[in-house]
Amino acid sequence: MSHPDSNRPQGPAGHAPFDQPALGEARALIESCGLRFEPGFDDLAVIYDQGRLVACGARSGYVLKMLAIAPSHQGTDTLGELVTGLIQSGLRAGHETLFVFTLPQNAASFQALNFRMLVAHGDAALLEYGPGLPAYLAAQSGLITPGRNGAVVINGNPFTLGHLHLVEVAAGQVDRLYLFVVREDRSVFPFEARFRLAREATAGLGNVTVLDTSRYAVSAGTFPSYFLKRLDALAEAQMQIDLRLFAQRIAPCFHVAARFAGQEPLCPTTAAYNRMMAAVLGEHGLEMVEVPRIEADGLPISATRVRAAIRSGDFSTLEHLVPPATLAYLRSEPLPKMEDT
Amino acid sequence: MRIRCKASAGTMQSSDLMVVVEPAETLRVDVESTVKKQYEHLIRAQISATLEQLEVTAGHIKISDRGALDYAIAARVETAIRRAAKE
Repeated sequence: MSHPDSNRPQGPAGHAPFDQPALGEARALIESCGLRFEPGFDDLAVIYDQGRLVACGARSGYVLKMLAIAPSHQGTDTLGELVTGLIQSGLRAGHETLFVFTLPQNAASFQALNFRMLVAHGDAALLEYGPGLPAYLAAQSGLITPGRNGAVVINGNPFTLGHLHLVEVAAGQVDRLYLFVVREDRSVFPFEARFRLAREATAGLGNVTVLDTSRYAVSAGTFPSYFLKRLDALAEAQMQIDLRLFAQRIAPCFHVAARFAGQEPLCPTTAAYNRMMAAVLGEHGLEMVEVPRIEADGLPISATRVRAAIRSGDFSTLEHLVPPATLAYLRSEPLPKMEDT
Repeated sequence: MRIRCKASAGTMQSSDLMVVVEPAETLRVDVESTVKKQYEHLIRAQISATLEQLEVTAGHIKISDRGALDYAIAARVETAIRRAAKE
């Protein structure tokens, strides 16, 4: 058996990097293991035994997926060999922490490779390898204060007066409010800008701390279909994982007793996420508070509406929709492309 | 020896370990192991001995172990450090 590294098809991501016969064989193996083949990964590790592909797995950013091992090689240390190739690939790309979604009955095989269980529910288990959650929590520990705290999780794409209203209402009901800004960069505005605008807009509120969610809320690791705005069984399973991770691993560390969210009249994905949030948090003894949206010019304020106004260059409307910090940013920066969400 | 850049060595196969080292102001060793409960102290003792022998006084050393024996630990740590020292 050869080392995954030596057989790894080389090539930059985004081109047609993998030689087609290997990719075809990998696809067949993945599908024969009952997994769905999803194109659009950064790297593929493959293991051959006597000229036959016996194991493969892909890495997309910090997420490992489509790990498949031929029945003839299950129960051997093939998984260790495969994961070695993927960890090395992740390290080369700068990802020391890697996520994997798997079936709960396979979790032990990953735990034997020093993966840490993050959360399991129904047919899905989410595990991570590397410094991960303990390192993230340790880095935030200086910002944690005791009391009855609250949390708001936003993408803030960009930060609007609606977000500010939500934060003000929430901050008025708790000792400290943690405003988590989604790290995942799949939005029009980059994380650095979304984070800075959230911080500037809430600077006047003494009990608000703005934090980075890292990989632990609404990310490619926990809830990738959020960004696809698709609502199906897969999206629901991901919401469950995302919300349970928050309730079990994040909320207790920050003494969070309540999570606040804006009421969602428009987007069905976010509306479903809010409904599930109330149920899952309730199950964990946490409160979920839905705050009604504020309106401007007779319509609810949303980041979607803000992006539409930006697209048409309508700054007089934007003045009613976003706080001064966001307005100054929109005036000073070349506006990003708006085709995307 | 000085850790000048990030480097790694080893595999995640059974009885082996993976070592990642990177530059840092002080010396810090993090150990993950499938036999952490029973053998963490021995793993740490072996890493310390190897670091001492190579005269490494600063750096962040991260170990992910699957029950490697002493000589494997010494060899993987030394390899990662020599790579990080660009020898």
